Amino acid sequence: MRALVALAYLIIFAPVLMVAVTSFFAQEIISFPPPALTLHWYANAWDKPEFLRGLVTSFQIALIAAAIGVPIGTAAALAIVRGEFKGRGALSTFLLAPLAVPGVVAGSGLYMLYVLAEDFFDRDIKATVQGLVAAHILLAIPWTVRLVVASLQGLDRAAEEAAANLGASPFTVFRRITLPMMRSGIVAATMFSFIQSFENLDLSLLLVGPGRTTLPVAMLNYLQFRIDPTLSAVATVQILLVGVLMATTDRFVKLSRVV
Amino acid sequence: MALLVVPACLLVLALLVGPMVLMFRISLEQFSPTELMIATVSPDNYVRAATDPYYQEVILSTLGVALLCTALTLVIAYPAAYWLARLQSGWKSLVVIATMFPLLVGNVVRAAGWMALFDRGGLVNQTLLAIGVIREPLALMYTPKAVVLGIIAVVLPYMILTISAVIESIPRDLEDAASNLGASAMRTFWRVILPLSAPGVAAGSILVFVLCMNTYATAVLLGGPRFKMMAPAVFDQFVRGNNWPMGATLAFMLLAVTMTFTVLGSVVFARRYRVR
Repeated sequence: MRALVALAYLIIFAPVLMVAVTSFFAQEIISFPPPALTLHWYANAWDKPEFLRGLVTSFQIALIAAAIGVPIGTAAALAIVRGEFKGRGALSTFLLAPLAVPGVVAGSGLYMLYVLAEDFFDRDIKATVQGLVAAHILLAIPWTVRLVVASLQGLDRAAEEAAANLGASPFTVFRRITLPMMRSGIVAATMFSFIQSFENLDLSLLLVGPGRTTLPVAMLNYLQFRIDPTLSAVATVQILLVGVLMATTDRFVKLSRVV
Repeated sequence: MALLVVPACLLVLALLVGPMVLMFRISLEQFSPTELMIATVSPDNYVRAATDPYYQEVILSTLGVALLCTALTLVIAYPAAYWLARLQSGWKSLVVIATMFPLLVGNVVRAAGWMALFDRGGLVNQTLLAIGVIREPLALMYTPKAVVLGIIAVVLPYMILTISAVIESIPRDLEDAASNLGASAMRTFWRVILPLSAPGVAAGSILVFVLCMNTYATAVLLGGPRFKMMAPAVFDQFVRGNNWPMGATLAFMLLAVTMTFTVLGSVVFARRYRVR
C-alpha cells in the first residue's frame, strides 16, 4: 500500500524534479552523473532571445487576460448566485464550457476565425498580443466563474440585508459587505487565470507567429530538437514562478479549500 | 442583475461558440491545394477520416493510448487517493497543494523532465549501464511506452484528487463496522470502499480519458514525429498541410468525443462529485 502511494507520487514528481536537477549540470549534453554543477545555463537562457521574449510575452498576455477576464467573470458569478432570473444554471454551464473544449480544438477555431477576419479587416490579428489575449480570456472567465460562484454559494445574505436595513446604499453594501466576502474567490481566480494562461500551450499553438511566441511554445519548439540544461533552466524558472505564485496566494486564501 | 452576465456571455459566444460553428461549416467544405477550400456542403471529409488508413490509424492509436492510460492511471491513483483521503495530519493541505502543483507547471515542462530521464545519456540508461543490466543505451525516447508514462504522469493528479474527494465522504465507521464484523482488509475494500467510491472512479476515469484523448505536448515530445495522435494531427493539417477542411473535421470529431464524455460525466453523476 505504502509502496503504491510512493509510486504514484514518484511518477508525478519525477519529471518536475528532473528538470530542476539537470538545469545545474555543467555538461551541455545531459548525462548522469554530472561532472560538475553550474549556474551558467541560467545566464545562457537569459541571453537567448526566444526564451526572454517568450517569457515577456507570456507574462504580458497572462496579466492582461486576467485583468480583463476576472472582473467580467466575477460580475457574471455575482449575477448567477444572487440574481433572480430564470436559466441561471444553464448560464453557469455555458460559461464553464470553455474548460470542456480541448485547447487544440478551440485554438483551431480561433485560428480560422482570425485568418478570415484578417482578410476582412485587413489587419493582423494572428500572432498579435490582442489575438492571444482574446483567446486566453477564454481561460480566465470559466475559472473565475467557478471559483467565485463557489466562494459566494456558502455565504448567507444576513449581513447584506442588515446593512441595507440600516440605511446603506446598494453600492455601499456591495463595496463594504459583498466584495470582501468574495475576496478569497477573486484572489484564487486571479491566480488560476494567470497561471492557466501562462502555462498554456494547446490554445496558443496555432495563434503564435514568428517573433510573437509564448514561453511554452518556445520551449516546445526548442525541445523538438534537443533537451539540454539551458532548456531545463528555463523550465525551472517557470516552475519557480508557479510555486511562488501558489505560495503567495495560499497566504491569503487556503488553496486546498477553494479549489 | 441579469445584465452582469452579458459581457461574459458575449465573449464566450464570440470566442468559442462562433469559432466552433465556423469550424463545423468549414469541415463540410472541400479542400483545394490552390484556393484553400471550395464552398460546398458534403460529409466527404468525415467519410475520409473514417475510411482512409492514415486517419484510421490516428484515431485508433489515440483511442488505444487513452484507454490504456486511463486504466493504468486508475490502478496507480487509487491507493494514493485512499491514502490522501484518510490522511489526518497537519500536512494534509500541503499534500493536496503539492498534488495540484505539477498540474499548474504545464505539460511542456514535465515532458522535458521525462526527456532528461529517458535520453541516451539520461538517468535511466546511465543507471542501468552502471549496474551492468545493459551494455548499450536503450532507445527509450520516441516510443509508445514513453508517451504512455508521460501521459499517466500528467493525468494522475486529476484522478487522485477526484477519487479522494469521494472517499473522504465515506464515513470511517463503515470500514470499522466491516472489520469488527470480521471482514478482512481486502474484503472491506472490495465490498465497502470500492462500491461506495464508484462515482469518483467513474468521474475521474471520464475526465482522465478526455484529457488523454486531447494530449498534445506529451505525444509530440515523447512520441516523436512518427507517433500520431488526434491533437497533433489536427495541428499538422492546419500548419503543414494547410488543409482547413480536414483539420476542421478532425478537430470537430475530437470535440464531439470530448463533449459526449463530459456531458455523460455530469449527467450520470451527482453534481457534488464533479471535478474542479
